[in-house]
Amino acid sequence: MSTVLQNLVNQPYQHGFVTDIESDVAPKGLGEDTIRLISAKKKEPGWLLEFRLKAFRQWLTMQEPAWPNVHYPKIDFQAISYYSAPRAKKKLASIDEVDPELLRTFEKLGVPMNERASLAGVAVDVIFDSVSVATTYKAKLAEVGIIFCSISEAVHEHPELVRRYLGTVVPAGDNYYAALNSAVFTDGSFCFIPKGVKCPMDLSTYFRINTQESGQFERTLIVAEQGASVSYLEGCTAPKFDTNQLHAAVVELVALDNADIKYSTVQNWYAGDENGVGGIYNFVTKRGLCKGVNSRISWTQVETGSAITWKYPSCILRGENSVGEFYSVALTNHHQQADTGTKMVHIGRNTRSTIVSKGISAGQSSNSYRGLVRIAPTAAGARNYSKCDSMLIGERCSANTFPYIQVGNQSAQVEHEASTSKIGEDQLFYFAQRGIGAEEAVSMIINGFCKDVFQQLPMEFAVEATKLLGLKLEGSVG
Amino acid sequence: MNTATGSGYLESLLREQPALPASPLAWLNRLRANAVERVGALTVPSARDEDWRFTDISPLTKMPFQPVTRAAKLEAAAIERFTLPEAGARLAFVDGVFAPELSYNRTAVTVANLATGAGRHAALLEPHLGRHAGFADNVFAALNTAFLHDGALIVVPRDVAVAGPLHLLFIATQPEAASYPRCLVAAQAGSAVTVIEDFVALQEAAYFTNAVSEIVLSDNASVSHVRVQRDSGAAFHIANCAVSLAHASRYRSVSVALGGRISRYNLNVLQAAEGAQCAIDGLALITGRQLADSHTCIDHAWPNGVSRQLHKCIVDGSAHAVFNGKILVRPGAQRTDSSQSSRNLLLTGKARVDTKPQLEIFADDVKCAHGATVGQLDAEEVFYLRSRGLSDAAARNLLTYAFGAEIIDRIPVASLKQRLESIVLAQTNH
Repeated sequence: MSTVLQNLVNQPYQHGFVTDIESDVAPKGLGEDTIRLISAKKKEPGWLLEFRLKAFRQWLTMQEPAWPNVHYPKIDFQAISYYSAPRAKKKLASIDEVDPELLRTFEKLGVPMNERASLAGVAVDVIFDSVSVATTYKAKLAEVGIIFCSISEAVHEHPELVRRYLGTVVPAGDNYYAALNSAVFTDGSFCFIPKGVKCPMDLSTYFRINTQESGQFERTLIVAEQGASVSYLEGCTAPKFDTNQLHAAVVELVALDNADIKYSTVQNWYAGDENGVGGIYNFVTKRGLCKGVNSRISWTQVETGSAITWKYPSCILRGENSVGEFYSVALTNHHQQADTGTKMVHIGRNTRSTIVSKGISAGQSSNSYRGLVRIAPTAAGARNYSKCDSMLIGERCSANTFPYIQVGNQSAQVEHEASTSKIGEDQLFYFAQRGIGAEEAVSMIINGFCKDVFQQLPMEFAVEATKLLGLKLEGSVG
Repeated sequence: MNTATGSGYLESLLREQPALPASPLAWLNRLRANAVERVGALTVPSARDEDWRFTDISPLTKMPFQPVTRAAKLEAAAIERFTLPEAGARLAFVDGVFAPELSYNRTAVTVANLATGAGRHAALLEPHLGRHAGFADNVFAALNTAFLHDGALIVVPRDVAVAGPLHLLFIATQPEAASYPRCLVAAQAGSAVTVIEDFVALQEAAYFTNAVSEIVLSDNASVSHVRVQRDSGAAFHIANCAVSLAHASRYRSVSVALGGRISRYNLNVLQAAEGAQCAIDGLALITGRQLADSHTCIDHAWPNGVSRQLHKCIVDGSAHAVFNGKILVRPGAQRTDSSQSSRNLLLTGKARVDTKPQLEIFADDVKCAHGATVGQLDAEEVFYLRSRGLSDAAARNLLTYAFGAEIIDRIPVASLKQRLESIVLAQTNH
């Protein structure tokens, strides 16, 4: 392989600064006491504490999953601090009161949290370590009846809603990391779109892990009532540390009749250095429930960070004619490992799903697509189309595809296809012939490869994602 | 199933093993002893094992099976309907025991039972027998190896092309019999041969066939391997086949699964040198409460390998088909060209398919593609035939038949092809 390709992959991580903010960190370790402490600090009602404790007890009986195609030293769950909050001096009334140091951090990250946000038309909820710092445009959203706030706030202000939906899509004991999250989650976003409301702007959450040896366990819950629709964006970064940090989030989406939820992620956690030291372990459970008829849930993800990604945004298609979509670009470089994909569970009649997954591996990384398409016997007329393409850059990386297709209904149509390709010398030569340098050529080829997915992203995110891939691969071709 | 009952069951299967006569070959006795030890260490797989997730073999463990020590004497007439006129040689095994009176060899190459052929080919056996079909973590291969004392041996010398196909006929006659068929095919450099493994039953009985085959191709050799499993509908059939391909050798296989209450076929093809080629095709045609499971692995360990695979399942009644096709491209296996397709046809509302085409790629300059489809007959195709005057049922039968015939057509033995086509035609006729 040419050196331009080699070098293109080796771009330093740009969000690797640490913000020096006093934070309120719980002592390391996990036990019922820790959970009671978190619950007490957040002044939670009794039912939530019960929910946490039940999840914790279930977690104790569970085994860490061994089936993903990822390798890492055993996590010591007692060496993690389960609560870390920027020390709040008082309750914040407006964004101007936020610690300026923190605002500067977000400025460096390019989060449009102040007036620029209004130009961008994006409402942002920012989660710093584990606690939500500010939510912009809350009032404007409230006018149309949309609730968009941190989940801890929602627990206090809309307990009946949270209680009705929390844990209904991802039950507390769903899997090892979901159980852990249910026990210790500290914050996250809550979004409720009432009946018939089309959300006037894209909603956005920004996650950032700042403290070394802290885990981030955020919990997102989005509910779209009958006929409602929302587009939700999530972005993530973390500073550089040479220890591994754990991120075990749970995202639950509920779409009632005719509702439409679009969830987009650009994940750029710190991936470790080029020798694979440090980086985030991203073990996330994301699942959407198409509960009502004609509902639609669409996941779009651009995964470029994390030392290890273990993530399967899924759709349970229960309502008749409901639609599930999954568009993904996963890029791994150096020693990154990604085992990601989706699950489409067809239960209702005439449910449809589409899966488009693009995996790019470079360096010595390992990139796996793992998908499940299950057609239950009840899902007459169900339809699935899956397409998984892999691109390999360099000869020491790997690309794997594990598609599980389980069909129990005769009238279902399921199609799956996968291919593997590389950036060939002849392609680069063709570009060179047209006067286009190798770096630019690679970036164009990658963008072409990922086009199907980028088209699904909201515009600002699509621009960011294109830039991000370019940066990540800079120096890997040549 | 819990481990305790699992291992108890395995012990009961091994009950007759110590009674096997010791082989004059010391290494073979050691191999058997190792296999017995592995059986002791392993358990019967359950749905918790990824490899057996969709295939519940617990019904097997509810039945006692013991090997047959003395074969029933069969008249030639009893197997008349299974004979193939073009076969250059036939080896018949009745309930796993070699039946010389039903066997013949009109070719110049070695087609013999292991016990007879072992003396002449001792030097060739040791590096191959039991070396390709690993049993360290495969309890059924270990069981077969523990009972390894006879079997089929085919040795094709250098540059010899065998004219007629070689027919290995495994006949089941008794209920509750466990048979452990074993084959070793060695195709030496530049040779060419067609081998048919044919599993048949004389009555609808519940028996257990646990077969292991090893096929070794030297440089430039060419082997065509046809495998027909038409066991009784109550039988259990588990088979492991390991194929090793040397430089520029070519392996083609067509396996057809029609019988068995539960059948499982593991086919592992290792491209152990550069430029090897393989094409493996499969058809499962099942109905009632049958389960047919096919696991294949094509291991591209060297550069410039080619592989093609087409696997089809036609699932009727409340039957259940499982397919797992793994393509592994190891580091350095550059310029591998591989394509795989899994196509499944569900004929009833209760039929079920679990398919998993799987790619694991560790080299960048490769061309790998796979596809899978599950569905029912295309409404437009049915409509087309109806517009030509066929009844709905006739149109559907014809299309179903054609779906399966694509695989049967690839069998290079005319008489067998014809017979299978009529079986498929009869079975798809509703």
